[in-house]
Amino acid sequence: MDSFNAITAAIFLPFIFAGLVPVMEKLLKQRVGWFAVATALTCFILIGIAAPDVIGEGHIVQGTISWMPSAGVDFTIYADGLAMMIGFIASGIGVLIMSYSNGYMSKTEDLKRYYQYLLLFMGSMIGMVFSGNTIQLFIFWELTSITSFMLIGYWRHKPESIYGATKSLLITASGGLAMLAGFLLLGNITGSFDLAAILNDPQVINAIKEHELFLITLILIFIGAAAKSAQGPFYIWLPNAMEAPTPVSAFLHSATMVKAGIYLVARIHPIFSGTEAWFILVSGTGIITMLVAGFLAFRQTDIKGILAYSTISQLAYMMTMYGYTTHHEPGIGVAAATFHLLNHATFKACLFLVAGIVAHEAATRDIRKLGGLRREMPITFIIACIAGLAMAGIPPLNGFLSKEMFYESSLEMGASLGGIFTFLIPAFAVLGGVFTFAYSIKLIDGIFLGERDKDAIPHHIHEPPMTMLIPPAFLAFLVILFGVIPSIPIHHIIEPAVSGILLETAHLHIKLWHGFTASLMMTIVTFILGILIYTKYDRIAAWQDNFNMKNPWISINYYYDRAVDSAKGNAFRFSSRSQTGSIKLYMSAMLLLMIALIAIPAAILATNIVPSQLNFDIPPYEAILLVLLIVAALSAAILPKYLPAIIALSALGYGVSLLFIYLKAPDLALTQVLVETLSTIIFLLAITKIPQKYKEKISFSVFTRDILIAITVAASVFVLLLNTTQGIVDPFASLSHYFIDNSLLLAGGHNIVNVIIVDFRGYDTLGEIAVMCLAALGVYNLIHSRSEE
Amino acid sequence: MNNFLLTLTISILFGIGTFLILRRDMIKVIIGLSVLSHAVNLLIVSAGVFENGKVPIITGSGHGGEITGTIYNDNLAEGIFAPLVSAGSHVEFVDPLVQALVLTAIVISLATTAFILILAYRIYEEYGTTDIRELRRLWG
Repeated sequence: MDSFNAITAAIFLPFIFAGLVPVMEKLLKQRVGWFAVATALTCFILIGIAAPDVIGEGHIVQGTISWMPSAGVDFTIYADGLAMMIGFIASGIGVLIMSYSNGYMSKTEDLKRYYQYLLLFMGSMIGMVFSGNTIQLFIFWELTSITSFMLIGYWRHKPESIYGATKSLLITASGGLAMLAGFLLLGNITGSFDLAAILNDPQVINAIKEHELFLITLILIFIGAAAKSAQGPFYIWLPNAMEAPTPVSAFLHSATMVKAGIYLVARIHPIFSGTEAWFILVSGTGIITMLVAGFLAFRQTDIKGILAYSTISQLAYMMTMYGYTTHHEPGIGVAAATFHLLNHATFKACLFLVAGIVAHEAATRDIRKLGGLRREMPITFIIACIAGLAMAGIPPLNGFLSKEMFYESSLEMGASLGGIFTFLIPAFAVLGGVFTFAYSIKLIDGIFLGERDKDAIPHHIHEPPMTMLIPPAFLAFLVILFGVIPSIPIHHIIEPAVSGILLETAHLHIKLWHGFTASLMMTIVTFILGILIYTKYDRIAAWQDNFNMKNPWISINYYYDRAVDSAKGNAFRFSSRSQTGSIKLYMSAMLLLMIALIAIPAAILATNIVPSQLNFDIPPYEAILLVLLIVAALSAAILPKYLPAIIALSALGYGVSLLFIYLKAPDLALTQVLVETLSTIIFLLAITKIPQKYKEKISFSVFTRDILIAITVAASVFVLLLNTTQGIVDPFASLSHYFIDNSLLLAGGHNIVNVIIVDFRGYDTLGEIAVMCLAALGVYNLIHSRSEE
Repeated sequence: MNNFLLTLTISILFGIGTFLILRRDMIKVIIGLSVLSHAVNLLIVSAGVFENGKVPIITGSGHGGEITGTIYNDNLAEGIFAPLVSAGSHVEFVDPLVQALVLTAIVISLATTAFILILAYRIYEEYGTTDIRELRRLWG
């Protein structure tokens, strides 16, 4: 299997297998999760098939399957080192998460739905990173938002889940729409939606940078990335997304989906970097989010809450590093950011899984109640220490290395900006590191160290089953491996990814020990300040709570809630006013609109009618028919008893079919006769059980009003029709000539009307038959839905 | 062909239909819908008809407006099935597209009429009335 087919299969396999989950659930019962694990593993292997090509040889695997060629959009694969890295993370962590879920999810849960959503998400994520054009990328991007929505709202009965799911969908999906607008602008500038066509052509990239729409395009695309990765004001959805089952939080909301925004920033890096706008927008947003989210983590009492804020802050690190750029060196922090992306996926997913174990065994996630669990669950404690200390940046773990690189690139960026920024940017970086250090220690300390609170958790706590222990243990192993022997991930994952981002072959040299450098000094300062801050941790948290209580307007959630509440209220008021349930009101509204749209133009047109051109030359037999029609219609309207009225109505119908003959429409005449017969029979059947007459007492005012509406409608139609026949209303260039010219030539039919129905517009007729079937089904069900008396 | 009286008739049908769909009795409303659909169909078909236009059926083996065989005159006043138009002459057909549209519309209006009739019948069975206002009162 070649690389292109392997990757295509890896994208679609999860979607297909998600459809098979219900079948497998019948076979495997509660072990259906292992089927999902096997699917994820297959995807991992399929992506691995492309690895020798992309990572070994340094090729970019590209390929196209024709999809919408007329719109310039095809199904395109663009697999470089960056895409491979995130593809491996998505499928690899997917394997671990789905194995873990077998232990975590209770057997009574709706497992089939859970694993279906997970597989759908994994497929969307893999599809997103390998997308070779922006439209396809957008589609998979929004699919990840939707699957995330379904997973956050997995426990449908909990109002918090519904709130969190709605919030995440509103924010990430509307961010995605901004991104789509940006992509359309980009397509407008370059004339192509194809990523490879843009990335591989330096002239195109220069043209984008000099284009007047450059800034607005960048801002729109960045809004999408920031909303997805919970950056800037959009961060508020991620803490509420913690209502999802914990394996989902580990998978989507720390390791993969929230990285989509980071991935997008890396993907468009060659197009937009090297400009002031890029640095200010990306790094600016990153630095502010890093500091604010790191600081706000202090007041969280839920361990998943701390992890959520820490994820926001860690994503902001990557954002900041990708934003570091100068005119000469566009990608100062790219290597550091990419390495941190990989490291964060390992240690943060691991921490979430530990949080899941703790919540599963202790039945609480409140850090005030937890504590002293180290004796009861020593293995979990060790795993948590490895991951937590990696996040804090302690050597020799992988978090230490990428944080060192973060400091290094901050120093370099500061130096190239000069002035006050020489110190300011590294200082911000250190401050972010200090917050991270403090809450990382708090996590370990709060859960495992200290005294056991026997009142809050009276029962004995033990280690979880192996299915829940092995995945985090494996991640902890990776954390140590990447830290001690960094050359393994650097050469095989990071270098190809960085080459993919920078579009040139990158060589990196990273060792665990690299001498007493400035960045090592910064690390030491971080540890000292971090320990100092940690001693004041509870006091800072209390101050934050107090401040927030007094100033609710400071929180972005305050504005989000108000906006959503007022939108809901307005929608409700609007619909209750416009949808009153009175058919007569709807009818009058429609007719009044129609009169407004037709009567006024008709009144203007009426002045154009030339009386001398009117055709009063009426053959007598036709005149008799027309008078009969009017009499029949009037009788149907006036006769109070149903039976005579229906007979009058069918007389009208047969009259119309006669008239069709005069109008040169023999097919219509035949159809009308058949249809009229049928509809008369149905009418008669329907009224057999209904009282045979109904007399509405019409008051004079109602009668006048309805007659006035009826006369206005009739007059408008009259004027319009007179104009049509006089040719005063311009006829549109008619399609009919095509059918007249081609019905014998192309379709071999002599009856043009029949040819149109069954050949040229065959699908319309198919739709017509579908309507008939639906109506028949509806009638059948209505008759059989009688309540039992 | 499209004369003053035909136009007037179509307009009157529109007026009667409109008056009927504003009634309170469901059966009358349904009758009104039927009258309206007749009016609409006639309106569309009559828009495609013109003086001396022929039935859109090609006789002979020609294509386009050119006739290679013979075509039957369809003027009722002069008699049906009399081969009057000679080969090679140009024939103007009335608009076949509007006829195709209306053919579909006729069938669909049968489907909808049947459906709402049964709906009205079932509503009467459940609530004992065909008066729309009375129904709203019963639903509260």
